[in-house]
Amino acid sequence: MTDLPGRPSRRGFLKASAAGVAMALLPLSAKAQQAAAPVPLEQYQPVFFTPAEWAFVMAATARLIPSEGDGPGAIETRVPVFIDLQLAGEFGQAADWYMEGPFAPAADPLLGWQTPLTPAEVYRQAIPVFDAWCAQTYNAAFTALDPARQDEALAALEEAAMLAPEIRDFFSILLDNTKEGYFSDPIYGGNHGMQAWVYIGFPGARGAFLEWVERHDVPYPLGPVSISGERA
Amino acid sequence: MARQEPRKDVVIVGLGWTGSILGMELSQEGLDIVALERGADQDTVPEFKYPDMLDELRYGVRLGLVLKPRNQTLTIRRGPDEVALPFRSFGSFLPGNGVGGAGAHWNGLNWRPQPEELKLRSHVRDNWGEQIIPEGMLLGDYPVSYDELEPFFDRFEHVAGISGQAGNLNGQIIPGGNPFEGRRSRDYPMPALPVTYDARKFAEAAAAMGYHPFKAPSGIASTAYVNPYGMQMGPCTFCGFCERYGCFQYSKSAPQTMILDALRRQPNFSYRTGAEVLRVEKAPDGKTATGVTYWDHAAGEEVFQPADLVILAAYQLFNVHLMLLSGIGQPYDPVTGEGVTGKSYAYQMNGSATLFYRDEVFNPFVGHGSNGMSIDDFGMNQIDFGREGFIGGAYWRSGQTNGQPIRSMPLPRDSAEWGAGWKKAVGDWYGHVMSIGSHGSHMAYRGNHLDLDPTYRDRFGRPLMRMTFNWQENDLRMNQFMRARMAEVVAFMKPDLSQLSFKDLGARYDIRPYQTTHNTGGHIMSENPAEGVVNRYSQVWGMHNVFATGAGNFVQNTQYNPTGLVGGLAYHTADAIRRQYLSNPRPLV
Amino acid sequence: MRTFLRIVALLALTGVIVLLAMIFVPVRLTPAVAALPADWRPAEGQGEYVMRAGDCAACHTAEDGRPFAGGRPIESPMGTIYSTNITPDPDQGIGRYTLDQFRAALYDGIRGDGAHLYPAMPYENYRMLTEEDVRALYDYFMNEVPPVADPIPATDLAFPFNQRWGIRAWNWLALRHPAGFTPVYGDEVLDRGKYLVEAPGHCGACHSPRNLLMMQDGVTLDGGRFLQGGAIAGWEAPPLSGPASAPQRWDIPDMARYLGTGRNNHSTANGEMGLVVEESMQHLTPDDRIAIAAFLKGMPGGEVVLPATTEPSETVVIPHQPAGDAGKETEALLVSAPADMAIGPRLYADNCMACHFASGTGAAQIFPKLAGNTLVQSDETMPLISIILNGAHVPSTAQRPMQLVMQGYRDRLNDQEVAELATFLRSAWGNDAGPITTERVAEVRAETAEDAGDPDDTARD
Repeated sequence: MTDLPGRPSRRGFLKASAAGVAMALLPLSAKAQQAAAPVPLEQYQPVFFTPAEWAFVMAATARLIPSEGDGPGAIETRVPVFIDLQLAGEFGQAADWYMEGPFAPAADPLLGWQTPLTPAEVYRQAIPVFDAWCAQTYNAAFTALDPARQDEALAALEEAAMLAPEIRDFFSILLDNTKEGYFSDPIYGGNHGMQAWVYIGFPGARGAFLEWVERHDVPYPLGPVSISGERA
Repeated sequence: MARQEPRKDVVIVGLGWTGSILGMELSQEGLDIVALERGADQDTVPEFKYPDMLDELRYGVRLGLVLKPRNQTLTIRRGPDEVALPFRSFGSFLPGNGVGGAGAHWNGLNWRPQPEELKLRSHVRDNWGEQIIPEGMLLGDYPVSYDELEPFFDRFEHVAGISGQAGNLNGQIIPGGNPFEGRRSRDYPMPALPVTYDARKFAEAAAAMGYHPFKAPSGIASTAYVNPYGMQMGPCTFCGFCERYGCFQYSKSAPQTMILDALRRQPNFSYRTGAEVLRVEKAPDGKTATGVTYWDHAAGEEVFQPADLVILAAYQLFNVHLMLLSGIGQPYDPVTGEGVTGKSYAYQMNGSATLFYRDEVFNPFVGHGSNGMSIDDFGMNQIDFGREGFIGGAYWRSGQTNGQPIRSMPLPRDSAEWGAGWKKAVGDWYGHVMSIGSHGSHMAYRGNHLDLDPTYRDRFGRPLMRMTFNWQENDLRMNQFMRARMAEVVAFMKPDLSQLSFKDLGARYDIRPYQTTHNTGGHIMSENPAEGVVNRYSQVWGMHNVFATGAGNFVQNTQYNPTGLVGGLAYHTADAIRRQYLSNPRPLV
Repeated sequence: MRTFLRIVALLALTGVIVLLAMIFVPVRLTPAVAALPADWRPAEGQGEYVMRAGDCAACHTAEDGRPFAGGRPIESPMGTIYSTNITPDPDQGIGRYTLDQFRAALYDGIRGDGAHLYPAMPYENYRMLTEEDVRALYDYFMNEVPPVADPIPATDLAFPFNQRWGIRAWNWLALRHPAGFTPVYGDEVLDRGKYLVEAPGHCGACHSPRNLLMMQDGVTLDGGRFLQGGAIAGWEAPPLSGPASAPQRWDIPDMARYLGTGRNNHSTANGEMGLVVEESMQHLTPDDRIAIAAFLKGMPGGEVVLPATTEPSETVVIPHQPAGDAGKETEALLVSAPADMAIGPRLYADNCMACHFASGTGAAQIFPKLAGNTLVQSDETMPLISIILNGAHVPSTAQRPMQLVMQGYRDRLNDQEVAELATFLRSAWGNDAGPITTERVAEVRAETAEDAGDPDDTARD
């Protein structure tokens, strides 16, 4: 049975739901405490993305950090929600950046961000270009490809040959945002249940380790806490 | 028509480390002082408070405490053949913003320069002859010596609250300290901090190889501490959120913890936030300043603030920008070599090794910004410049500063950058990696300089400053020397995997990855007005009532983090104003 | 305050008899305890100093109000009492007061118009001021304080509390001690300390227990349960005598440091005591603070060792203190950080341990010690819960200018979590106090909702 285009893999979705239910039912516990269960991903109403963009980001992040293997994937950690909220916010609008012209989008990449577009505009312009490239190359939208083809297509996107200079950095922005959503505090919508922190052993926002400075080569056992006080 | 404020004795531009120091010291003279800070006010609580500060996305990635480029930036080119482009989104360096300046978000590494570094041209001339100085290098002596500055380094260390162990107490070498440092008149105010596993591994290897490891001096409290202003620190809890963050714990040396609440009690001192200085106003004869004009963001209008004494205490880049905009000093021309303002911009030449140990555990989130063990065996005063073919040196340090996973996720070079392979690699390697850093000197060169950009403008319509900067062969050769020495240490430490990251000969400046916020020069100190902007007291040549603090004074950069020298020079300047200038305002040289 | 209601009931019972006496016996004012020469003038600054020592501003200056213009609401179960205007304005203030009328307010609780002051005014203690200090204070208020003509809200208590004559009977019982100060030590420092504590400092007003009639049970060294602990506005005013009291556990310089800076090597001053430090104690001379500390140390028999100097040292370095024997077990648990840690210690590790450490010893002069902490273990549980919810603030003082602010956890912890955390604190490191319920936390959360604002409100003015 194949997953619907743009949907999380069935396995990932089941994992995510099960975790949500389990946490919601627990009494006050030292090990698990989190905010009210969020709306399931498939019911999430994007703030920034159009339905087509949302389907792409769901599918692409599911390959950038897949659900298979040890550790959570981008879908279980709700990375697409994170990206949607970031693009709707100050980051997406390049609110902090110097965005006065003239622009030189084809400048040496070592000179940094030189496109006139904001990150949100880069997503908006690049996704259809990439989808058109997928249609031309595979005769199918990216979301309809099987995982192996999706990985192949993303590798091509990373090379960026199909992208104009203004949007040439799309893949690296998408990848950066995906990793940010995976590892940032859950208050931004990703890293759901602090699963990514649990996976690698990062204790989050505890910030109290004086007693561990000289405990050398000993694994730190206590799970993470988030800014809002979730425990895992 | 600018609004005019009542005259003050002193106006201070910028309320970071040096603005706070000058404010405190001059307010003790009874002077009526106002400090103008373009950013917002910020304090331990609420701006830096726990747990909100421990937010890697907001502060580490989105740079919440850093100056916003849309408010002020500069353009950058690697040489005269390139068109400079705006630094639209900061990377390579991260200037501070708001009260406390970059002093709020630094790592706390507090070093004194070596005596030889302050007289580097003489050191080179006396030992190898000036012929080893490469073409195009502007090698100079500072117009002050280490011995003259020693009381002021000491004063700054006691105000700033530095933890460490002396290696040279009045000429006596103390075991456990840095044997190659300059003479100290007394020890650090606090004992050195304990160190993490990575630091211990490095120190054991270094000692076994005959080097001289010592605990890095640190603007991080190892104990409860009260400084000479009655300001306080609590012992560091190794939370792992220093650089890019304000300290929630009152543990990091910053204007907030060491000066500001004491300064706020001074009845003759006040400060205004959202007050962005646009230019220094000069008297008709150009020989003195009459005050400054600033933009009052709340009122939305220009304000003239008359003052008898003007202290430029903004970050190095913005001090130079203000000077260029205000006509302070003749702008430097790299073609003729004439002029001084914008001359001798320098930076830092760093490299590192990453060591992977599959079966060892480092808990990288246990750390602070200046954690670890250092060696200075490859420091400036230990290298035979004639033999090695470069002028420079570096100190090394190993000590984890944070385990924040978005940015601090070193993986073996052949790991996938995404997909199942990446996910497996982060699971396999997080917490099993350590690093060693080489923090090296950077010389001044004829071509690396600052001037005004012909095209791009800031939100006030002023030209942005333009940086012309590229790596130079001398410093890259120094870096390659460090790489070779470090490869030996890495081999000795027998990691499962390792990789070295040192810029190769011919490397071009890449403004994207963070490197260091150690921008220096541009209003350098000099023995005479032809060579620099300020004299040995940081007093502007030809404009005796303007003083400029900060790393803009550096003749060339040292091999160390600049704050110790910046702080020492600020106290030196404060002392000169208090003891020499106020009673008889005049050029002090 | 409930006791006060009982008192009032008692008063009502005896009211009839007392009423007769009150009607027929005229009020007699206490005369001056010394006859000063006609040309006596206070030393410069003496009056202001006595005002600081007496902390007049604490009640007579309203929040954001002009100095001594009164109008500060003082909540009581009977209603709100508004402090009076004591500026020299002739109509709204005390500008028409003669010295004798002024003294009567301090010694007998009698207003210029002959009415009785509510005993929120600590005339039980001010009664022991020397004539020199009374005169200096009078001079200060008449000549140095700017007059303020703004009217203040009238205190309007419901019957029977609005019957001020009822206070007269109370005064007969409460003011049996002689006016003026009686030195007993034959030692300048200890007698000075005794004077400051008993008279202007009016420490007994909070730190002595109240008897059934709500009088201070002991207003002088030799009376009743002097300084054996009381309560103020829901805060415990801990005992200042007895072997477990702070003045006995702390050395004299540390006690003086607490008074002068609101912080010492053990604790920080919160709540009402924070205000006392800010408004009063930090303005005393170092010698006077040493005198107070010495008196408190010596009062129950502690050995008085005076410091060689009161000059501050250039810097202070105090290493982190490990847990004592009683705290070892808790410390070991927190340090080992097991994944299955119980909820109480887990909440401590996630919220408190950064500053107060696994040892619970905090850090000298900055982070209060929780092990053995009286506030943590007090039967008055509001302060502990409130600090967890709303944070705490140690004011800037001349010697220690840094404002120390602990942020609150109102938004991060729910009632059940706060209860678990507070219960842990009260039993960790050898602490020995009962649990805190979720319901109690909910009460305090509701009661202190208005304190939950940005702590920066106070930190930035």
